[in-house]
Order: sequence, then structure tokens, then C-alpha cells
Amino acid sequence: MPANMQPLEPLQTPFRLRYLTEQQLDQLQSATLDILERTGVKFPSDKSLKILAEHGALVDQKTQIVRFPRDLVLKYMAFLPRYFTMGGRDANYDLHLNEGKTYFTTDGCGVETFDYKTRAMRPSCKEDVGMMARIADYLPSIGFYWPMVSAQDHGLTAPLHELDAGYHNTHKHVQSETIMGEAPARYALEMATVINGSREDLRRRPSFSLVVCTIAPLIQDKEGIEGAIVLAEAGVPVGFLAMPTMGTTAPATLAGALAMGDAEIISATVLMQMVAPGAPVFHSLMQAWADPSSGNYVSYPLDARGRYAPVEMAHHWGMPALGACYGTDSLEPGTWQSAAEPALDPFMVGLTGAEIVTGMGLSHTYTRLYPEQLIMDADLYQRARYYLMTMEVSPETLALDTIQAVGPGGHFLAQKHTRLHMRESMKRAITHQVGPDGKYRQAREVAIEKVKWILANHYPEPLDSAKQAELGRILAAADAELG
Amino acid sequence: MAFSETPPLQPIKPAYHLRILNDDQLRTLKSSTLEILQETGIYCPSEKCLRIYAEHGALVDFATCIVKIPAEIVLSAMRHAPRFYTMGARLETHDLRLDGKSLFCATDGCGVEVIDFVTRQRRPSCKEDVAITARLADFLPSIGFYWPIVSAQDFPATAPLHELDASYNNTIKHVQSETIMGEQLARYAVEMARVIAGDELTMRARPPLSLLVCCIAPLSLDRDGMESALVLAQAGLPVGFMSMANTGSTAPATLAGTVVVGDAEIVAAMVLIQMACPGAPIFHSLMPGMMHPHTGAYLATAWEGTLLYPIGVELAHNWGVPALAGIFATDAHAPGWQSAGDATSSLLLCALTGAETGSGLGLLESCTLLYPEEIILDSDIHDRIRLEAAGLDTSPTALALDVIKLVGPRGQFLRQRHTRENLRRRSFSDLTAQPAPSGGFRDPLELAREKATRILETHHPEPLLPAQKKELNRILNLADNELA
Repeated sequence: MPANMQPLEPLQTPFRLRYLTEQQLDQLQSATLDILERTGVKFPSDKSLKILAEHGALVDQKTQIVRFPRDLVLKYMAFLPRYFTMGGRDANYDLHLNEGKTYFTTDGCGVETFDYKTRAMRPSCKEDVGMMARIADYLPSIGFYWPMVSAQDHGLTAPLHELDAGYHNTHKHVQSETIMGEAPARYALEMATVINGSREDLRRRPSFSLVVCTIAPLIQDKEGIEGAIVLAEAGVPVGFLAMPTMGTTAPATLAGALAMGDAEIISATVLMQMVAPGAPVFHSLMQAWADPSSGNYVSYPLDARGRYAPVEMAHHWGMPALGACYGTDSLEPGTWQSAAEPALDPFMVGLTGAEIVTGMGLSHTYTRLYPEQLIMDADLYQRARYYLMTMEVSPETLALDTIQAVGPGGHFLAQKHTRLHMRESMKRAITHQVGPDGKYRQAREVAIEKVKWILANHYPEPLDSAKQAELGRILAAADAELG
Repeated sequence: MAFSETPPLQPIKPAYHLRILNDDQLRTLKSSTLEILQETGIYCPSEKCLRIYAEHGALVDFATCIVKIPAEIVLSAMRHAPRFYTMGARLETHDLRLDGKSLFCATDGCGVEVIDFVTRQRRPSCKEDVAITARLADFLPSIGFYWPIVSAQDFPATAPLHELDASYNNTIKHVQSETIMGEQLARYAVEMARVIAGDELTMRARPPLSLLVCCIAPLSLDRDGMESALVLAQAGLPVGFMSMANTGSTAPATLAGTVVVGDAEIVAAMVLIQMACPGAPIFHSLMPGMMHPHTGAYLATAWEGTLLYPIGVELAHNWGVPALAGIFATDAHAPGWQSAGDATSSLLLCALTGAETGSGLGLLESCTLLYPEEIILDSDIHDRIRLEAAGLDTSPTALALDVIKLVGPRGQFLRQRHTRENLRRRSFSDLTAQPAPSGGFRDPLELAREKATRILETHHPEPLLPAQKKELNRILNLADNELA
């Protein structure tokens, strides 16, 4: 691996937690099938309705509501691959999704950035996407990159410019959450083909993937689903993300919200399998709550249980899961709230075995970028990563001879064993950096320094000039057609 | 006199569990502890303890105070230890039944400095701080039992007894001391516990006091601590032993080495108690720290060091005794991102590994500094984890399929009766997402400070009977006269 590339550090743990029982998983799956069969899902896309009708779904063309017989769902879900590869721009960063490894990404897609130069909040732009891609490229905790904020300086083609900024500034896989519609998807496919070198390589180790949000309750987004069809046909992974809000767009009980969100995801997944049997698809469900007093959207109430139940539901369907971590409701980093809310996330998602997880680095419920938040979230991630590792119990680590040599009342400072192991035993968090006054420095201040250091020192290998030119050509064509 | 009801306890009852060490690892760790106890031994500078060890077959060198305990003697003594028992409260409704199903959490202790509740200035701690925080702890359902959170430094020689007095006068919950050291102090403490329980039988069945004694790493027992523990154990009060072996300085620089040094200290102490009082209730507590390699400072929360807390829980269970788990420790100087980040993970993993008890909420700066609002903030995190660990309801009402069908695609759930009935049952934090008059949300730290003030203004737990108060005063006067 080149010197400017650090090996990835995914969560790897032998510990497994079963949050839901087998019976509960069956109950939830049966509830999803029931909703798909009795209630149905609205697909406001003629293209999708045509495919669904041709493959045996019960389509009401007038209301655009589609009902799925149980057997039909099970038939198409059987084509799904359990695991697949998400390629990096560099093959060293290919993510081979399999049992026992969890890769994290950044959060997205925020709309405001705190500018270090002006010390003020401003609308986000393409340069911010590139800057954060460079930081994500450096951090071994980040397995792949979600463009973190919107390239609002590029209007309607912002999603393609976000992809461009991602490809230019990180060797890692890029997953978009904003490319919606058939035409943008075709341009994105062209860009990804440039990065991979060929359509065949793109299918084998796709450098790009897409996550599409469904609309609760029980609706697919026309542009989202039509963009997904384009990518699924090309073998590019697509995922569907349901965000039911309990009390407004979902029942006020968690099991009901989960079953309904699952129905949205599964209906879209079935459509993908009808279009391209065996297409790589992942599952993602992030429930939220409506504050009963204000109606506000709340990511982290006191009772946020079940945040990782959808990971087990995805696995029960035989799909990889995109777990939902971080995304604090705190207005800025470094607050008590910005740690109290998400600190549990990487543990729980690691223990339930999600394959991929979003997303580090945004505040104010996924909308606001302070660059140092990514460093602080990565620190919480590393705590979880070490916590979930096995403890080595061997003659060397038990150190019985050293204990015997020191005996009761002694100390271990003069021991060769201590000199050999002390530095590796203490993994320093950003909270344990000693300042000139001998006290620990403010974690946020240390994080800001780290951001500045990475930006001054870490430059991923640039794309070769031919690829840069080709991406520029595609973007210009897209700007001319869509902008 | 009017008083406030103490709300029912809300322990963490995990619906699912986790194993960190496999059977092979547990066996290796146990045999390593046994090897250390047999080959290296323990330093125990107490004539009284050495005699007990010797009378029960341990190899005692009275000149060096080193005790080597053969493995079969350790195992035979530990067979007497009860796996489950009750720690009593002043009111039976708040007794802690350690049955392996619930995790009861306590405050932290024993800090030495306080951010004053009124002036917000930093100052040494005093008895009044113990009393005030006991009242906060009495109100909070997350607090199952009370550790006197700071030292009553205004009563230097008898501080531990005054801490006990301040606690009993301000909470009906079980009190666990971490400072009663020495035979004389312990005898006074037992007298005070007897006053609270009312009689000898009740004190043994529902002991209102327990004691935690720290070992001294590496491999040493504290004379006063052990002699104190013997007095309480003889009275039927639970005693536990905590190792705070420090990776790199008072323990090997490897995690497994740190674990076995700490475990050996704890087991040596537990064995002594079972030799002296077979069947006495004991508990195991492994809370190691780590040495900062640049400064030598003690760190409560290095990245991988906190893994040792849930491992300590599994070791305790492997020895057949309940665990007091390390939770909430932080090296942060003030409430904030660091204190919250440090707190969350250890509590979850200790709950999922089945810890029966844990301490401590409310202190900062590596368990030394009391911030009034920290106990409220920690309590909020406790509740998040309590709810997270409680599992998911998948009953027909919770699945709500009929409601989903009724609403259908493109609808909304606001008008449904099911929503009205269930949304208010969801638990929302009273610290986060609280609207500010100017828009946005209020600062959770400010809300925590307000909540602490509100509790102190309104919550006054059921007082002791006048006769009990009088009796406690009499005992304290005697102790002050004898020991001050």
C-alpha cells in the first residue's frame, strides 16, 4: 500500500448480540409481507409500474398503488446476493462485505458548513465535499465516503459534482445519497465507468453505489427509484433507506414503524430484482420520533431502543445492512449531547454485525458540518473498535513470570515486559493529550488541530490526467443538459 | 412532618446478553490467578488476617507478611460464597435483590473536591455535600444505592461515619461505603447500620450497609481495610473488594496481565472473608486504570482499558459471586463531550454481561471532582441504556398492522387513536430537544443544573425516626470522642 494510504480499520469482533429473537424476526417479516399484500406501496413512476405489473404484482394504475402477493416477494428476494464487493478507486480499499467486518462512512448530506476562515456558518459547496473527502481518505476508521454536504454552488447537477469531488479526493469507495433520476444516474454511471476503467470492472468492483430514501408512509420516490433502476441494471449496488417518524409518518409503536419501513425497503428491493435478478441491494432503516409537544423530528429520544433491530431484519431477509450511527441532534460538536447520543452507536451496530454503517461527522440532525466533528466521531468509533476486540490471553500477555519477579508491593516500571508492551497497551484518545499546563487539553481543540494537520499534510494520489479530463467532459455535458 | 415519596427504582434489566471471554479464556485466567496466589503470594500486613490465613491452611510468612494460598484452599473457601443475596434499603420497597436479572447503579465516590452548588467555585468537599447529593440520588430512579459521593473532610478523623450519617439522613436507599477503614470505625458503622435496620435479624436479612475495600496493587491487601471487612462480614453485612491495578505501573503492561494481578488481589481478600465467616455475602470488583506513558498519570478511560470492566464482571461470575462493575468513570475536567463519551460504553457492556451492581455516577477528573449537574447528566445516559437494553415489543398492538392499513400509502398517523395512546408512552429526555424561547434547543447542561436545583428544592425523603436520629448522634459523638 502506498505511503499516503493507511490500511482501513473496520470494526471486527467475535462478539455477537441478538437483539431480536428468531420468533420476533419472523413476526416482523410476516408483518412486512402482510403490509405489502394488503396495504401496498405507492410507486409514482410509470416505468416502475410497468415492470411490476409485468412480473405479477397487482398494480392499480389509477392510484399507483402496488400490492405484492407474498409468494411473489419471496420469489424475487431469493435472487438477492447476501454479500458483494464495493470497490475503491484503489483496489487496496475494496470493501468485500462479509461476516464479521463492519465498515463505516461519513454522514450526509448536510447543507451548511462552518468556515474556519470566517468563523461563520455558510451554505455548503463543492469545495467542502472535496475537503472532507481528503480527511475521510486519511482516517482509517472511514471505510467509504458519503459526500458530506451538498455542492450547492452547482445547482441541479450538485449530486454529480459531489461525486466528482469525492473521486478527486479519496481513494475510497464513494456512496451517493443524492443522485436522483434517470438522467443523473446515467451520467454518474459514466463517471464511475471512467474510474473503474470499464463496465466489466465496474460490475465486478463498483467504485460507486447509491442509497435512495423511500417516503413514509409506503411511497417510493419517482426520481429515486428510476435512478436506482439504471444503476441496478449496471450491477452498481443500490440501497433503500426508510426513515419512518413515529407518530407522524409511522405508527407510534416501534414494531409498527419498523414493519412499515421494512415494507417500503422490500418493495423497492423486489423491483430491483425484477429488473436485474441478482443485483446487489442493501437495506437501511432509520426510525425517528416526533416530539409529542412540538412535532419536532428527534433522532435520539431517551428511549432509542431498536436502533439496530433493522440490521437483524436485513440479515433475516438475506441482505447486507447499512446501519445508522451518529447524526446527533446537538447543534455543534464537543457538547455533552453530541457524545451522549451517539456514543453507544458503534458498539451496538458492531455487535449486531452490520456490514456498512453511516455516518460520522455532522451535527444538528445531519444538516450541519463542523469538520472537527468527524475527528471526534472517529474517536468514539475507535473506542468501540478496541472495546469489541478480543483480549489476548497468552503466556506473554499473562506475564506470570514478570508478576512473580515484581511480587507484592513492587512496581512494574523497571520491567523489560513493561518497556516492550507499554506503548502498545495505551491507545491514546483525543481526550488524553497533555497540554503545557499538565492538564488534558480540550478534545475539540485537539480535533480542530488534527483537521488542520490532515489538510496540510495529506494529499491522496490525484486521478490521472486522462480520467480528470473525461470526468470534466461528462460534468460539462451534464451541466449543459440538466443544469 | 411532610416528606416526599422516593420514586421506585429503575434498574437496567437486559433483554439480551453478551459473552466477552470464552470458556477457555476464563479457565486460563482463573488458573493464572490460582498460580499467582500459590506461587507469588499476597502481602497482607495484618496480624489478625495472617492468623486466619494460617489457621485455614495458607502458607504464611509472618516476617514478610507474605501469604501463599494453595489452589485447593482457594477453591474450597470460595465454595462457601453466596452467588445471590439482598442488599437492604431503609424501606423494603427499595431493597436490591441481586438475582442476576437487574443491574443496580450507584453514585461514584469518594471525591475530594466540589464545584459548590451555589457559588460554583471549586472547594474541598464536606459532609453537607454528601447529604445534598444523597437527596438527589434518593430522587433519581437510576440510582439504586448510594455511595457517599465525596469525603466529609470537615470531620477528618471520623469522616467515613459522618458520610454514613449524612447518607442515612437523606436517602432511604441502601448505602455502600468505600471509606470505612479500620476495626474501630467499622464497629461504629455496624452499630449505625443496626439502628437503621432496627434489629440484628433484619440487619442480616436486609443489610442497609455494605462496604467496598480497595486492594493495593500489586498483590497487597490494606490492613485497615481488611480488618474493617472482617468486622462487617461477621455482622452479616456484604463486603466487596476492588482492584485498581494500573497497567504499566502497578500491573503488567498487557491487559491479561493486569486482569490476573487484580483478580488475584480480590480473590485473596474474598478467601479470607470466607475463611473467617463461611457464607458471608461478598462481591468482586475489578476497576483497573492505565498509566499514561508520557506522564505516568492514572487514566480511568484509555481507549481499550475500559474493556476490562465487563471482563471483571465475567470473572466475578466465574468465581460464583456478584460483581460491582466499573461504570461512568471519566478523566474529563468538566461535564461535556468527553464525560458523555466515556460513560456510555462501559455501562452498556457491563449490563449486557450481567453485572448485578455498578458504580459510579456523578464524578469527574478520575473520580475526584463533584459537579452538581453531573449526576443528572449521567442519569440521563443511564436511562438511555436502560431502555436500549430492554428489548423490543412485537405484540399485535405494537405492530399496529390495522392502523398501517387504515392510513395506507401517503397518509399520516397523527389522527389515529393508536398514535394518541402510544406516542406519549415513548420516553423522551428532559435534557435534550427542549425548545428554547428564541428557537432551537436549550443547553442540556443548563437544564441539568436547573433539574438539580428543582430536586433539592422539592424532594425531601422520609426522615429517620427521632429515636434513630438520636441514636446515630450518640454513636457519632462516641466515635468523635474516641477517634478524633
